[in-house]
Amino acid sequence: MCIRNRSFPRVIHKPSPIHQKKSKSTALAQNAIAHLASKSTSSPTPKMSEKTVSKVTLESNDNVRLQIDRAVAERSMLIKNLMEDLGDDAVADSAIPIPNVNEQVLRKVIEWCEKHKGDPVQSAEEENDNRKKTTEIDEWDQKFMQVDQELLFEIILAANYLDIKALLDVGCKTVANMIKGKSPEEIRKTFNITNDFTAEEEEQIRRENEWAEDR
Amino acid sequence: MSNLRRAPTGAAQAKPNSILKTLQATELIVSKPVLPAEILVAILDYLPVPDMMRFARTSRRLREMVYDDTRWVARLRSLGCWDEAEARRRFEETMRRRRELADRASAPGAAAAAAGGARPVQAPTSTTLFDAAVEVERRNQSQLRKVTDGFETMKATSGQPPRDPFEDPEALLQVIKSAKSVRGHAREEYGKIYGALAPFYLDLVRAKTHTDPIVFQVFRDPERQAQMLANLRTFAKSDWAQGWQQREEKLASMISIFESAVLREFEQGYEFWDVDGRMKKYAHVLDTLSGDGGSAGVELFIHKHPIFADKEVLANSMDCINQAPADEVVMEPSRRFFEVLSRKVNAQADIIERIFPRPGPVFWQFVGKVREDIITEYATPLFDETHERSILSYVKAVSGLFEQTLQFFRTLTPPKGGLKAEQEATAKEFTLKIFEPHLDLYLQDELDYFVRQAEREVGDWEKKLSEQDASVESFYMGSFVNRQADKRDFLTSFKKVVMMPVSVLPTSLGLPLGSPFASSSSRASAIAPSSANGNNSLQVASPSAPSSRPHSPGIATPTTNVGAERTGSPLPGGKAPSDELAAKTALMTSRLEGIKSLFSIEVALSLVHQAKATLGRIAVFIQLGGQAGGEAREQCETIFVQLLRILGGRHVKAGFDKAVTHLSQYNARAVEASQHDKGGVAPLVTFIELVNVGDLISQMIDVFYEQQLAGPKIADRNDFLDPAGLAKKKFEQMLDESVAAGLNKGIDVLMDEVEYICATTQLPTDYNPAGPDQQQLGPGTSSSSSTTPAEKAANAAAFVDMDIGPTHTAKRVRDLVASHTSMLVGSTDKSMLDVFNGEVGLRLFAAVCKNLKRQRVSTAGAIKLIADMNLYFDYIRSLKNQDLLAYFKALRELSQIYLIDEKHAKEMATIIADGDRFGGIFRAEEVYEYAERRADWYHVRKDVERAMYGLECVVM
Repeated sequence: MCIRNRSFPRVIHKPSPIHQKKSKSTALAQNAIAHLASKSTSSPTPKMSEKTVSKVTLESNDNVRLQIDRAVAERSMLIKNLMEDLGDDAVADSAIPIPNVNEQVLRKVIEWCEKHKGDPVQSAEEENDNRKKTTEIDEWDQKFMQVDQELLFEIILAANYLDIKALLDVGCKTVANMIKGKSPEEIRKTFNITNDFTAEEEEQIRRENEWAEDR
Repeated sequence: MSNLRRAPTGAAQAKPNSILKTLQATELIVSKPVLPAEILVAILDYLPVPDMMRFARTSRRLREMVYDDTRWVARLRSLGCWDEAEARRRFEETMRRRRELADRASAPGAAAAAAGGARPVQAPTSTTLFDAAVEVERRNQSQLRKVTDGFETMKATSGQPPRDPFEDPEALLQVIKSAKSVRGHAREEYGKIYGALAPFYLDLVRAKTHTDPIVFQVFRDPERQAQMLANLRTFAKSDWAQGWQQREEKLASMISIFESAVLREFEQGYEFWDVDGRMKKYAHVLDTLSGDGGSAGVELFIHKHPIFADKEVLANSMDCINQAPADEVVMEPSRRFFEVLSRKVNAQADIIERIFPRPGPVFWQFVGKVREDIITEYATPLFDETHERSILSYVKAVSGLFEQTLQFFRTLTPPKGGLKAEQEATAKEFTLKIFEPHLDLYLQDELDYFVRQAEREVGDWEKKLSEQDASVESFYMGSFVNRQADKRDFLTSFKKVVMMPVSVLPTSLGLPLGSPFASSSSRASAIAPSSANGNNSLQVASPSAPSSRPHSPGIATPTTNVGAERTGSPLPGGKAPSDELAAKTALMTSRLEGIKSLFSIEVALSLVHQAKATLGRIAVFIQLGGQAGGEAREQCETIFVQLLRILGGRHVKAGFDKAVTHLSQYNARAVEASQHDKGGVAPLVTFIELVNVGDLISQMIDVFYEQQLAGPKIADRNDFLDPAGLAKKKFEQMLDESVAAGLNKGIDVLMDEVEYICATTQLPTDYNPAGPDQQQLGPGTSSSSSTTPAEKAANAAAFVDMDIGPTHTAKRVRDLVASHTSMLVGSTDKSMLDVFNGEVGLRLFAAVCKNLKRQRVSTAGAIKLIADMNLYFDYIRSLKNQDLLAYFKALRELSQIYLIDEKHAKEMATIIADGDRFGGIFRAEEVYEYAERRADWYHVRKDVERAMYGLECVVM
């Protein structure tokens, strides 16, 4: 049950912003622009020099508030859509709660987002293509992911919840690398999976997939 | 395992003042770092196959994830061996079989299995209702689905042992091709491929040098090595686990090492020209390896081919102009060039077929190179050079070379397997590529050249004419003399000429004439020798032209004429039109003299010939089709339009205008008397000749249009917006208008002439032959001084024999009018001709009446008068105009009043008063007026008047 709950944000959240964006975004965007203009701020796209006006505050589940650049926060589709939907006013006034993520993980995620804030956003088509062929994890990401497994999983979960596709991919790849060459028993341990096969059944599967075994 | 769980303590410390308290509350419970299924699936995507399989062994849930068919279908698809259609077919087949099975099973056990009441009822009646069938199907489907992702089906493949590649290398080579597309079994199919290829693949990737990989040890001969490498390359596409890039690069570099080795072998074979040995062998290896026909080998083959350095082939295109006269191009050297080239290339086709596994594309690639390096190199300097020398030779060279090139590409014999249509398309494409850079310039030059030539031709003619205007004038005046006499004879003879099938025509040539079209003009004279009576053949031929009209009764219907001639011709289609044209042109040329000062048939002819030559040159480009063909077609139409503009607007129109001016200036009385004897009104005859020739030109244009434009589908006859068709219509319209304007004038002139003849030749004694004393009584406006000796002779004759027959004057008038009207027959629109004839008849009637009123008619002379009137009547009858006939009938009746003896004055009065007798043409008063012209009027007047007005009664 808990797995299902966890997975909701990524699965359900995805289609909704697309619809909302179309219907609401124009009015919202105008509001936002008017709002920003009245505060005599310049362009809505955040730059390094305009940190003060384009900051958002995130609040982890252990109530730690973290103020970050809007551009960084917008790596998360969840936050991006949320800001678009609620308007800048709401975001500016109060912190955005990130209820599934604790401070440590959130900091880690933000660190990654800071690093990757300039990356181009992947389109849906690219996503499909890239699924086929795994790209290499770049060096920085590799280092970044050198954390204990617990944290790694939490990062992945957070990335999933916050809908940060690239980070999720990196996480999955790291996990994939991690379990390469491991025995089924080791895999079970890693993912906390209960073995519901009998010994014969397991042997049966091994036999029928003998072709795939390394020689 | 506990170390993997994160204690939920962190969350428990949540501060209550959070804005999203409820959410955080939920969080308290769920904080175990277990990855959700979606993420596991994503991770699976990144795993290499062996790890994935180990993953499958951890739990049922994960096994399902791994075994998910779509995952494996995607891999098969990436290898290009998943056929959705095949999969569907198999699936449906299985479905059907299962349904049948299920049906059989459900029938006996129906009662037992029945959940609802419907089942048992339907099962026995095997006709089954739909519901049941659908239900069964649905059940089977779910069954099947259950089966496919269940454990049981795996039995099918579980027994398959991993094959040892060393034992069965042959099967390994075919493993990708033999993969089947079965839904639910994609994993097993992929397993077969993976099992066969992965060891080689991984080994190759790990290999340090190119000698290490077992691929090269298991397979010894290069064909199999290539096959295996090709398989591995395909297989690499399904490898998308991390590091695939390096692996693929490694594979690619291995393959390229192998390829270059093979290529070296191929090259060595090439050097020794070992066609059937090494070249063939390694070409096949290269093809197997790369799968695209072995492009590297093909390139090498073409690039190093000896034909590009062959001295025999590389001819000098300058030969074409060096041997030719100034404006000409000799196409013989280029023909030889193409012949040699064609022979050589065709020889290569054979060799290519022996060497390459897919010779078709290789051959065309080779030909493409030949086109680029040899033909273009040959053509371009030739074009440049000729363009500098003269435009005419340039256009000839382009057109000629084009045809030869196209022919060359068409005659190539590509290796087997090539489609004919494909060759045609390729031939056109290659030819277009060669000529594309020249095409625009060529078409423009062609048009410019034609227009310039045509303008110059007309200009020259005009200049020449103005120089010798005077002499020409007198010449044509004299030359039409005999035409009238011959005309009728030629009417029949020329019909024969026209009706003759075209193929017969050339056989009759034999009489040499000075004309450039001697062959056909001699034909005309040969057919009508009887009518030539003393004229030279030039004159013989010339009147024959107008008589061709009856064949084509009007401009409106020339197509039928052409069509008939064409169908009648047994010659092959290509030849007939030119012969037909030649026949026509010959006739026209010989007619030239008559209307030299107005417009020249010769000019018209040479214009048409030029247009034909130009069109002929351009028309070859039309077959290219596409844009280039379209442009060529448009240019053809433009040339036709230009032809009509120059010929019609500048030449014919001017001639007509001039002729009409001549006509309007004509004054019957001003012309010397001697001219009148010749039986025609000079300018009118000329004009009518002109009409005939104009019609001839129009027909010529029509034939030209049909043959050169409509025939080869350059212009669309049915498209009323087609510029060529429009221009043609305009031209014909211009001609008609000119003719109409001229005829209007012509009638006036003709009648002037009639009146002049009446006035000058009608002797008072004609109708009043009584005695010399009475002769002086005649009102005779005609002065005897103006009578010519000939008239006097006629007069004398009339005195002598007292012949009852029409007078000389009447005959002349009749002949004059008849000859002019008959000349027009067929030369112009029928309705216009009718109007013309009607007008001429009416005017003739008026003239005759006028003449009659000037005469004195005695009872004796009345015979002559009646004869005259009969003459006119007969003539008018020949016109087949009923309205007109009534007039002359009345005239005939009228003439009878002169015959009545003076003693019967009363009867005369009755006749005069009898309006019905004259069909309402003459009123009694008018008849009375005519009666006054009786020579003895003063004697009978009293009696007649008395009878008419009842004066007698008054006296009595």
